[in-house]
Amino acid sequence: MTPIVEMRGIRKSFGPVRALWDVSLYLMPGEILGLVGDNSAGKSTLMKVLTGAYIRDEGEVLVEGTETHFKSPHESRDRGIEMIYQDFALCGNMDIGQNIFLGRWPKRLGLFVHKPRMYAEAKTVLSRLKVDVNSVFQKVESLSGGRQQSVAIARAISFNPKVVIFDEPTANLSVMATERLLETMTELKRQGVAQIIISHRLTDIFEVGDRIQVLKRGQSVGDRYIRHTNEKEVLELIVSGTAETALSADDAAPKAA
Amino acid sequence: MTSTSVQAPAPVAVQKRAPSLYFGGWELGLIVFMMILYAIGVWINPDFFGTTDALSAVFRDASRYGIMAIGMTFVIVNKEIDLSVGSTLGLTTVVFSILFSPTNYDMDVWPAAAAALGVALGIGLINGLLVTVLQVPSFIATLTMLFIGRGLVLGLTGGENMSYDIKTRDFPAFFSLADTNSLGFNNQIIIFLVVAAIGAVVLASTRMGFETYATGGNEQAARYSGVPTRWVRIRSYILSSLTAGIAGLMTVAQSHGLTSQEGLGAELIAIASVIVGGASIVGGRGRIAGSCLGALLVVLIDKVLREQIPVTRTQDFGGTLIEVQGSIQLPAGAVPAFLGLILLVSVLIEPWLVRRRVLQRAWARIRGLPPPLALETGGIAITGAQTRGTVAQARGVEARGFRAFFHRRDAAAIMLMVALWALGLWFRPDFWGSLDNTFAMLLAFTEIGLLAIGLTFVIANGDIDLSVGSVLAFAGAAAAFLMKEMDASPLVAVIGGFAAGAAAGVINGWLTTRLKLPAFVSTLGMFYMARGLAAWLVAGRQLSGFPETFNLIGRNVYDVLDAFGIAPTGGLWLAVAKAVSAQTIFLAVVAVLAAIVLGHMPYGQKCYAIGGNERAAAYSGINTARVRFTAFVFSALCAAAAGVIYVAYYRSFNPSAGQLRELDAIASVIIGGGSIFGGYGTIAGSLAGAAVITLIRSLLSLQIIWSDGTSFVLPQHWMNVFIGLILLFAVVGDIWLRQNNIFAIWVEGWRAAQRRPIGGTA
Repeated sequence: MTPIVEMRGIRKSFGPVRALWDVSLYLMPGEILGLVGDNSAGKSTLMKVLTGAYIRDEGEVLVEGTETHFKSPHESRDRGIEMIYQDFALCGNMDIGQNIFLGRWPKRLGLFVHKPRMYAEAKTVLSRLKVDVNSVFQKVESLSGGRQQSVAIARAISFNPKVVIFDEPTANLSVMATERLLETMTELKRQGVAQIIISHRLTDIFEVGDRIQVLKRGQSVGDRYIRHTNEKEVLELIVSGTAETALSADDAAPKAA
Repeated sequence: MTSTSVQAPAPVAVQKRAPSLYFGGWELGLIVFMMILYAIGVWINPDFFGTTDALSAVFRDASRYGIMAIGMTFVIVNKEIDLSVGSTLGLTTVVFSILFSPTNYDMDVWPAAAAALGVALGIGLINGLLVTVLQVPSFIATLTMLFIGRGLVLGLTGGENMSYDIKTRDFPAFFSLADTNSLGFNNQIIIFLVVAAIGAVVLASTRMGFETYATGGNEQAARYSGVPTRWVRIRSYILSSLTAGIAGLMTVAQSHGLTSQEGLGAELIAIASVIVGGASIVGGRGRIAGSCLGALLVVLIDKVLREQIPVTRTQDFGGTLIEVQGSIQLPAGAVPAFLGLILLVSVLIEPWLVRRRVLQRAWARIRGLPPPLALETGGIAITGAQTRGTVAQARGVEARGFRAFFHRRDAAAIMLMVALWALGLWFRPDFWGSLDNTFAMLLAFTEIGLLAIGLTFVIANGDIDLSVGSVLAFAGAAAAFLMKEMDASPLVAVIGGFAAGAAAGVINGWLTTRLKLPAFVSTLGMFYMARGLAAWLVAGRQLSGFPETFNLIGRNVYDVLDAFGIAPTGGLWLAVAKAVSAQTIFLAVVAVLAAIVLGHMPYGQKCYAIGGNERAAAYSGINTARVRFTAFVFSALCAAAAGVIYVAYYRSFNPSAGQLRELDAIASVIIGGGSIFGGYGTIAGSLAGAAVITLIRSLLSLQIIWSDGTSFVLPQHWMNVFIGLILLFAVVGDIWLRQNNIFAIWVEGWRAAQRRPIGGTA
């Protein structure tokens, strides 16, 4: 099966700083991949290279088997890659419906915003996510952090993406909201959306993830199938893994078994 | 300014020791630049620049502005701005003069001076409390204080000058402070040096100064590490006002009296001095020495510009310069055009030359070396979804009918409008409801309404346009100039007026979106430049006598139809045509179009999105720069329309046209539901706000007849004080009532307190 996203030998430097050095990554359709590592390990940089927010120095990025050269997140969005930012990137002064269709409000007569259609479609998207909000007319700033994230996810889903990248999704959430988020991720997986989760919290990734990849100082130090590993092993990789001793998930699987 | 080629400091990648907080490359560059400037002056005109008189006059006047710049440095290092210092200076001179003058209170000199300084301290405290405790953005708080202070100056002096030359002889100790001493230079220079030394030590070597740098660099970090940032900011405002007060006392000591214009525009020189002196408008950077040298340079430029016209204040050495400059004379009021330009250029030096290392890179390229990397220019700042809890609106989601209306942000403006109109009717039932009064109010409404419509878009974007009043004047001046001096046809004049407005809007938008200046800085520059250019175009005079076809723009429908020979002869149609003017119809058309664009078209949604969270808007594919740019141009075009209408309506143009109108317009938008932080505002609300302002103005000028037959009219000079207070109330009310829902919090607290003693029975 072709991976939906494949990155090979990615290198990226900022002046003298080597942020990424020969990093590879793949993501299968419908898979949930956890991307972990210390601060400055290169997780966010790798994802920004994927979405086109950064331009890579070297390496290849393949989406569904074809090579791509995204120059901005808008281009990767067209190929079905959505990123949900840590702070959700929503407009607090606007209501849920307006936020879901931010920047691409449906038009009537080519000039006016088609409000009835906008709110109707917003309701559809929210019900697809199985999140219940009181009203699509509610201002986003009056929502709790978890609800705001639901709106951000709904917004991403409305593009019918194939891949959704979550940047530290649970960092700003309460325990309850985290539970709901994990449910939402499972729901998305059921609908066939592949996901990459950048997170510090291994627990969350172990709950919903299929595979986990560890980055360290701009290099990949191995990946594992969740069912073949445990938190202790992943922590050891984060702390003392090296690129030389890195094993792929498929190589590590027989050992674990 | 061409100074950039010689004065850029050299930021080096590896520094052996900490950069001095007293003196640096920038200051050295300023000194070199001024010496070159002066040398050129001496070479061109030794008669003036060669004399010590000229030098000492520059130093004397730079002393007062330099002292203000010292206080201003603290404010700007704090990442804030104080626009009120000019008015504070004026108010200090007024308070001192009224207390000291033998024709008024005839007090001793020291108590009078102390009281005047006390007033200055009070203004600083009010500024500080407004921006810290009440969270009003600093430019809006201090701009309002500027106008309130100016209004107080006019109100207290009645617009008249004062002089007490004879009494000053009894108090030589005070008044000799402004005299030339036996060493041959003015004592003001000593005061300046003393204040500068104290300021430099405080900013560079004390905790107080370090707290200021920390607060300006990152207020949150400073607060977390225990710096009392609120007090630090209040303190800076107090220092700024105090220095303005000292400068005010020096002014009265020098002139032995006062004019009602004292300190007018001084804030521009003070701010320009600090920025020219190397401080960054985004805070955390600035040195006292730089500000003082900046003041010297700006005053030098200001003097050169002003010397060319014979004004009474500088006649003692003005004559010679006129010979040199020949017929090139700058009319009164045009100087701010250059000062505004200097302000804008110097603000741009830091981000575009220093940060990007343009000079070092160019130098490396000349020598064939690899250019050094540009410093990190900083990406888009991380701003979360702004959660300023509109709880009231969240409750309003489910409300229907009348209750839903109360939850609208513009409800207050509409209710206030009705209440104020009823109040007028109650005061003067004989006059208020009459057709004449309604007609007059509609006319006044047009000007404010037009400006408010344009500003609604800008404010919804989270920007501000402080230049609308000046652009009004600039467009009017352009139209008047074209008809009067160039014999242009009315159509060309109208087009010219709009072109002038569009040019101002394009510059505003370009500075803000492409060069990424804060909107209040770029439009503040335009505020001075457009008014200066307007005064320049009409040479400071009042122009009148335009073609009558042009004046029809400001007439009522009857006159317009009459000009085409199709005037109605009677009936209802006649009454309507007499009551409705062409400009009212124009306003209505613009308002309807603007309301549709803002409320029902993607462009309006984009404005709200940008005002709510610009980064999110950019991520979602909105071209935020283009949307903001368009809003600035539209705002300027609205101002230009108001300017053309002004000329047509009054059949003349006065360079003071549109003065204070920016205040009226901003207040209208805020009262009408806009937020000074962006993301809100409707055309209907802004027009209701404009109506509120118009009604308040008419009410304040209403002659109230009491039952005993006596009558009372508020003097016109006090009007500005009221309008300023109203703007402050509007902004504070918006922040605290609409956004923080403070009433509901109080009511909650009160209810909780009530419940407790009763023991749960409530």
